[in-house]
Amino acid sequence: MTIRVTNLSYHYRNQRERTLDGLSTEFKPGEVTLIAGASGCGKTTLIRCINGLIPRSYTGGELSGAIELFGQDTAALTLATISQIIGTVLQDPEKQIVASDVTSEIAFGLENLGLPRDEIRERIAHTAELLHISNLLTRETFLLSGGEKQKVALAGVLAMRPRAVLLDEPLASLDPASGREALALMRHLADAGIAVVIIEHRIEDVLAIHPEHCVYMSAGRITYDGDAAGLLQSVDWREIKLPASVVMQRVRAAGMAVPHRARSKSPEQVGSKSIIEYRQVGFGYADGPEVLHDINCAIRRGEIIALIGPNGAGKSTLLKHAIGLNRPVRGQVLVDGVDSAALTVAQLARAVGFVFQSPSHMLFAPTVREELAFGPRNIGLDAETIALNTDNALATVALTGTEDQPPLALSFGQQKRISIASILTMNPRIVIMDEPTAGQDYANYTHFMDDIVSHMRTDAESANAKPGFEALAFITHDLDLAITYANRIMLVADGRIVADGAPEEVLLDTARLERCRIHPTSLLEANLAALNKTTPSGMQSHRFMSAAELAFLA
Amino acid sequence: MLVTWKYRPRNTLMQRLDPRARLIFFLCYLLSVFMFWDVRVLSGFLVITLLTVLSAKLSWKDTRQTWLLLGSFTTFYALITFITGRAGNNLYQTEHIIAVLQAPFVVLGWQPTVAISIEQVFLALSQFSRVSSIAAITLLIPYTFDPAMYGVTFRQLGLPDKLAFALDLTMRFVPSLGRDFAMTMDAQKARGYEMERRSGGLLGQVRKLTPLLVPVVIHSIISGEEITDAMDLRAFGTQPRTWLRRLSYARRDYIVIAVSLILLATSVAANLSGLGRFWAP
Repeated sequence: MTIRVTNLSYHYRNQRERTLDGLSTEFKPGEVTLIAGASGCGKTTLIRCINGLIPRSYTGGELSGAIELFGQDTAALTLATISQIIGTVLQDPEKQIVASDVTSEIAFGLENLGLPRDEIRERIAHTAELLHISNLLTRETFLLSGGEKQKVALAGVLAMRPRAVLLDEPLASLDPASGREALALMRHLADAGIAVVIIEHRIEDVLAIHPEHCVYMSAGRITYDGDAAGLLQSVDWREIKLPASVVMQRVRAAGMAVPHRARSKSPEQVGSKSIIEYRQVGFGYADGPEVLHDINCAIRRGEIIALIGPNGAGKSTLLKHAIGLNRPVRGQVLVDGVDSAALTVAQLARAVGFVFQSPSHMLFAPTVREELAFGPRNIGLDAETIALNTDNALATVALTGTEDQPPLALSFGQQKRISIASILTMNPRIVIMDEPTAGQDYANYTHFMDDIVSHMRTDAESANAKPGFEALAFITHDLDLAITYANRIMLVADGRIVADGAPEEVLLDTARLERCRIHPTSLLEANLAALNKTTPSGMQSHRFMSAAELAFLA
Repeated sequence: MLVTWKYRPRNTLMQRLDPRARLIFFLCYLLSVFMFWDVRVLSGFLVITLLTVLSAKLSWKDTRQTWLLLGSFTTFYALITFITGRAGNNLYQTEHIIAVLQAPFVVLGWQPTVAISIEQVFLALSQFSRVSSIAAITLLIPYTFDPAMYGVTFRQLGLPDKLAFALDLTMRFVPSLGRDFAMTMDAQKARGYEMERRSGGLLGQVRKLTPLLVPVVIHSIISGEEITDAMDLRAFGTQPRTWLRRLSYARRDYIVIAVSLILLATSVAANLSGLGRFWAP
């Protein structure tokens, strides 16, 4: 008895092409299945077909083929019945949680099924124990951490005793350690006899729990269906992130030359003037405890800084001080040598560009052109400069030609690029990005980061020769992103900068990384293993590189 | 910035009462206050209100801002009533002037003059007592009403499942909405947006708010769709649902409900028989 999908196709009412095109596969109880694929390949639609939202909530599309849930044809089942066979955890637990407190949240589905109160109570206690969240039962859901929210969302689904659980990108909002805990739990559920289906971009993390079955989707079709070893050999390593050793081996086997990108030396050694300087900064919210302690650091021209550390460590809070969205309770933040305390956020925005994580929190204008003009107009740039900056910014994010389109009609990845462009038009000297890659697939964010980094102005170039910003700082949970792009890494934990320096210095201490809830990746291990071959020479002192670059070292 | 409900569990009679009894009391009390303009009756209500507020045992630190806002609002409102005598025309026909205040200056040939009558003074006092009573009792609710109880309270007062759960859902998402708003505000501030620098007429002011409103509204619509999916997937609305929490009346609840109904009946009767209208010595 399995979940069997046979020749499944689906065509959304408003779309030109089929989103799913003749899929057939099978998910077995006791197995973990990994479904991978680029954005828009149809993964989420497949989940909606299996859990019955298509065609029951999404009406008007064309569905063909068959889905059999443990011997029953879904076409004949109601959502209430399917919900007791298939549990679904949506991508953003924040939007899955419908109750104000944890007990009510776990109870929700059981209440809807009309179960007796005693049984509901018994199931809540049992599920909470299974997921080790009994201590959370009386807490408010809004105040939970990302990892806790996800466990609570899962508990609400598991309490309905499904025989299969579908998870849509469960790792997206978690720090690496919380992600690993979540995955261990999935393995445990599968071993207990549940069919676990995980859709995820971060396949290296999922491979750690040894999925029995892997499916790769591309443009609405299944292009690979088999075991993990076969997946690693068959999919394009530029489309999806594979373990470093696999990429190196495949790049070598293919004999492709991947040139080592020239990266500038971390300018601390050059000794250039700082753009932003934190002096003894301490911060706490009104009536709350201090959340940042003794922050001392400077950001200089030419630096690409990655801030890494666990959720809630204070990374965003720290960087928001640079633009005055947070103000130090103790100490000073200097911007271009001037104490920022006397300046408004709008004044600071001329030097500091801050890009928030979610583009939907900032896009509002009817056209891309107006969206991009909003910032520079606010800080008083003239029309001619704005037009010039708009052209440059769109070129930087590779979206020239979209000027007259409504930003909200673009794809998520494009919206993300527009949100950065709308900061670049203000001509900031430093650009700060909070989780720049969140919600984008590997190929998308790799191109995106390549574009941004290549437009940074290095020391040698004067402002007139090339437009662009002089320094970049980004917050990320993705250690490999930091390894590939940063020339300086700040490790932040418990409101302090625990380590700060060149990547090969900060990331050498893997025990310290583990203490900060960061798990060393295969790319880090490969880079550390290659350290003796990447001795610094001249300006190209950046010793960490991508897996493809490492492949051709020596 | 975190937006959370200000409710805290407290061991007070008010919070031990069945929430339904409290709602019934609240409604009856509100309607009763509306029945009167006589400052002698209204000051009685004001005393009851103050006692109720004191019995809630709210800490000054938690509620300071609310009370200061309430105090300045009611005082301002009463002052306006006092100076203009607004709404007085319906309540009294004759006025007895006790003092005439003349401004010691002349503006464009007009010397501001305020004639003060006994009626005006008492109208202002009545207004102050009424507004304070209503506002203070209402403001108690978010502080003393467990947000997790709204749905079940209204369900057991007879609302259908879906409507009652909608209340719970509202309570759940108000803090999220607050956070989205704060994030949008920060994101736009980082683009040089300044709320304070509002200019232009009403239309201009609304236009100035679009960078805040559009993202928040769009975000809510998208979230709304995802929440609907999440609820559908957990069988919401497919059959009559169980409510895990169950309210049951205790003896004190019956007493509170009885007192509330008697209060309302008495007030309505008084009003119909012409008692409790505007009074001035």
